[in-house]
Amino acid sequence: MDTYDAIVVGAGPAGSTAALTLARNGLSVALLERGQFPGCKNVFGGTIYAQPVAEILPAFWETAPLERPVVTEELWFLHTDSAVRIGFGSLRFARQPYNKFTVLRSQFDRWLAGEASKAGAVVHLKAHARDFVFDKGLFTRGPVQGVRLDNGEILLSNVVIIAEGVLPFLTAKAGLLPKVPPAYAYTLYVKEVLSLPEEKINDRFQLENNEGAIIGMVGFPTSTAIGKAGLWTNKDTISLIVGGYLNQLASQGLSPYMLLKRLKEHPFVKRIIQGAELVEYQAHMIPKGGYTFLPKLYGDNVLVVGDAALMISGRRGTDLAMLSGKYAAETVVQAKAKGDFSAKMLANYALKINEAFFMEDIKARRSDLQYYQNWSDADYLISSILNELANEFFTVDFLNEKEKRARLVSIIRSKQFPLKTLSDLWAALRHWEAL
Amino acid sequence: MLEAKFPGDPLPLLEINVDNTSHISLREPKNCLLCANKPCTYICPSQVFEWEEDALKINYSRCVECGACQQICPENIIWEYPRAGYGVTYHY
Repeated sequence: MDTYDAIVVGAGPAGSTAALTLARNGLSVALLERGQFPGCKNVFGGTIYAQPVAEILPAFWETAPLERPVVTEELWFLHTDSAVRIGFGSLRFARQPYNKFTVLRSQFDRWLAGEASKAGAVVHLKAHARDFVFDKGLFTRGPVQGVRLDNGEILLSNVVIIAEGVLPFLTAKAGLLPKVPPAYAYTLYVKEVLSLPEEKINDRFQLENNEGAIIGMVGFPTSTAIGKAGLWTNKDTISLIVGGYLNQLASQGLSPYMLLKRLKEHPFVKRIIQGAELVEYQAHMIPKGGYTFLPKLYGDNVLVVGDAALMISGRRGTDLAMLSGKYAAETVVQAKAKGDFSAKMLANYALKINEAFFMEDIKARRSDLQYYQNWSDADYLISSILNELANEFFTVDFLNEKEKRARLVSIIRSKQFPLKTLSDLWAALRHWEAL
Repeated sequence: MLEAKFPGDPLPLLEINVDNTSHISLREPKNCLLCANKPCTYICPSQVFEWEEDALKINYSRCVECGACQQICPENIIWEYPRAGYGVTYHY
């Protein structure tokens, strides 16, 4: 029977980073992936961030499979036949040290797991850890000893790092999930990858060479639910994604596939993707539970990283997953040096997470989850009123400026009762986030 | 390759290695009769669930493993990952 210093369950960004860090420090590590290759079941919102990734893999842009460095970011408040657009473009982002890159997960995750393998980690493909092997306790079960694969195979280790992603099967089995996250703690996204020649992509997004663009969209894409859409450039494909809070999609009768189909028919989206050929369709959830639903991050012989640990803050996730994988691995390296893998020793991981810059944001955002449930009309209101105001503002007619201002005020006043507007504004200023 | 279920169905584009047994089941199939809007039939991104006359049909071969169904219907849907090596393989 194989015995490792550590078993990492899941070869996504968090798991592969953990395995890489462990192997670099000379520990024996098994990295398990249930799919045919790492990344083959993974989906995300398009970009990895240069600085956090370079913290783990210096100058990764020289070797990693990247699509395009992003130079243009836009946010569209999309309405039925109009859009209020804000954005920023900087050609600095096309040069070192860059800012963010679009990547295809099937390539990037595979490459990252390959880096872990090169450092000495043993990658097991088509290996699905369905349960733990527990030490025998006197009355109750003892601590985690290893994992049991779904073909019955047993792998043993001093520590198991759970990097299982959004669905917390093992986290629950390890007894680290005190509150099972409900449907409102998840968002569901669907995505299409559309093939288009590089020159056409560059023309339509006003890019040169390998420069990339990303457009976020709010309002129209999710109909009446809180959610987002995204459109971004890969080398010779465009990704289009839409989704929102799972419970709202369900209770409002919204099919994510139909939302995507509807979005593709929006005139502003249609002209960007015109003539592009559909090459893939994907779906995935994001764990938005945040601080309220944070699992226990460690136990005897076990740690939780990445999506399984709800390391999500706003649109950031992949980079936080990688950093959490790094912190977990560093904790295990020290635990091995000390010869102690108990919860007391592994608590150092929780300390590192709590000290990390992003934890401040995750804590600060803890009431956003409730905000989006109580103010589920926020996206619709913001997007529709901005478009109505902009339409009035930009329309040239026969009103003097004073009359024009009065017209703008009346648009706001006639939208809904003023008390609700005030309370909406107050809540939105504290919680609503565009990205 | 999967057969198209409706015109424009994107599922035939996907590489899915279908296991011979389903990884999705119901605790009590009869309870679906009482379910008002049957959200599984529209929330599932790949339309795994289909209401046929008086029973829920589960096209597990179409599953792309997002896990949303068991989150919106923990009462009745039992969903697990397909066995290792099976299920969807994305290339983008």
